[in-house]
Amino acid sequence: MRVWPFEYVPCTTFRQAIDALVEFGDDALVVAGGTVTVPMMKHQIVRPDVVVSLAEVIDGHRIERTGDIVSIGALATHAEVAGSATVRDGLALLATACGSVASPAIRNMGTLGGNIAYAESASDPGPALLALDAAIVLEGPKGTRVIPAREFYRGFYETAREFDEFVVEVRVPTPSPSAVQRYMKWSPRAREDKPLVGLAVLFQMEAGRCHDVRIAVSGAAEVPTLLQAAADLIEGERLEPSVIAAVAKTAAAEIKPFADLQASAGYRREMVEVWCRRLLTGIAEENQ
Amino acid sequence: MITLEFTLNGRAQRVMVPTHWTLLQILRDKLGELGTEEGCGEGACGSCTVLVDGHPVRSCLVLAPRIDGRSVAAIDGDDDPIRTAIQQAFIAESAIQCGFCIPGFVMTTVALLRDNPNPDDDAIREYLAGNVCRCGSYPQILAAVRTAAQAIASKSTTDEEIAHAG
Repeated sequence: MRVWPFEYVPCTTFRQAIDALVEFGDDALVVAGGTVTVPMMKHQIVRPDVVVSLAEVIDGHRIERTGDIVSIGALATHAEVAGSATVRDGLALLATACGSVASPAIRNMGTLGGNIAYAESASDPGPALLALDAAIVLEGPKGTRVIPAREFYRGFYETAREFDEFVVEVRVPTPSPSAVQRYMKWSPRAREDKPLVGLAVLFQMEAGRCHDVRIAVSGAAEVPTLLQAAADLIEGERLEPSVIAAVAKTAAAEIKPFADLQASAGYRREMVEVWCRRLLTGIAEENQ
Repeated sequence: MITLEFTLNGRAQRVMVPTHWTLLQILRDKLGELGTEEGCGEGACGSCTVLVDGHPVRSCLVLAPRIDGRSVAAIDGDDDPIRTAIQQAFIAESAIQCGFCIPGFVMTTVALLRDNPNPDDDAIREYLAGNVCRCGSYPQILAAVRTAAQAIASKSTTDEEIAHAG
C-alpha cells in the first residue's frame, strides 16, 4: 500500500504547527506517531496535500514531576510513558495502561497526545487519565487552555479540542502512595487488540473502607467514561462480595454501550459487569 | 524528493527518495533490501518490523523524512551475531513454514533478547504479540526464541572465558 504524495512540514515547535494549520486548513493532516494517520492516508480515508509533522517537536517527549504533578509531553510514546520511572513511581495505573496498548512496535511509535487527540474510544490510557483526574493542555491560535480529562471526551471520536488546537501536554496529579490503582484490559481475541473493556480503578483504603473512588471504562462506550454511580456505591464501604456485585451491576447499568462488528451493545454491557466484578474481587483478595 | 542520511545495519546510507515514501519502500524499492516484507501495509501484522535507534517499529508506517540521522537495523546483512544466532535458532527449530512473517519475528526477537536475555514463555508471547504468522508456527517460534536465548547466553559465556584466558 502506498501513500499519496504530500508536502511534508516538519515542526520543531507547536507554534509552527499551529501556524501551518492556519495556513493550510483542511488541506493539512497532523501526524505524530503515524500509527493511526498513516493507515488512514494509505486507505485514502484522508488525502492531505500537507502533512504537518510533530515528530520533530523539540522537548515533545519530556516527562517530569513538579511537586505532585507529573507533566507528560504530548509526543511521549506509549513505550516511553510505560517505561518512565517517574510515571511508574507515582502513576502505576497510567504506566500499566500505556504498557497495555497494542504491541511493542506500536507502543514505540504511537504517542500519548495522539491517543488523546484522536479520542480513540477503545483507548487504554483514556480511562487511566479519567481516573487520575488528569488535565489536558491545549495550545491554539488563541492561546493555551487546560481542560480536565473528564470534560475533554465529548462523543464518538469527538473532543473539546478545536480544529486548530493541539494537545501539547498532559498533567497528571499523583495520588497518595498508599492509593490502590489498577488498570486492566480485556480483548476477546488477541492481546494486541484494542480493549473491548478497559477498566481503571483508583481509591484510598482506610481501615478496610474505600474512599475517593474513581472508576473509568473504555472500549465499551463511545468515549472513555467515568462511572460515577458505581464509584459512589463503594464510597465508605468495604470490598465485600455483595458490594462488589452491586457496583459491577451499577457500572453495567450506567454505561452507554454501542454495537459494532466486534460485539453487540448487550455483550459490552455484560462484559463491563463481569470485568468490574473480577477486578474488584482481585483487589479485595490482595488486601485481605 | 528528499535526501536522507542514515545508517542501515551499521553502514552509512545517503538516498534521495520521494518525501511521501515509507521506510519500507526505501528498504525494498530503493536499496533492494528485499528481506523486509510488506504484509498488511497498515501496521497490524508485524512482518515489516525493523529497529530504528534500537526500537522495533513498523517500517510500513514510518514516513521517509523521519529516518534522517537515525540508525536502522533490518533483516538483511550478515554483520550482527545476535541476529544471526536468532536466525539459526529459527532454522534449527523448524520455525519457518512459508517464511513470510519471519523477518519481522526475528527483528522483534533481537529487541526482546536485548531487553530480556532470559524471557519465559509468557514474556515471549507478550513481546511477540504484534507479529502474526499466518501458517500458525507459533509453538516452533516460541521454541526458537528460547533456543536463541540459550545460544546467545552460552556464546557470551564462551566469549568471556576466551577474554579471560587471553
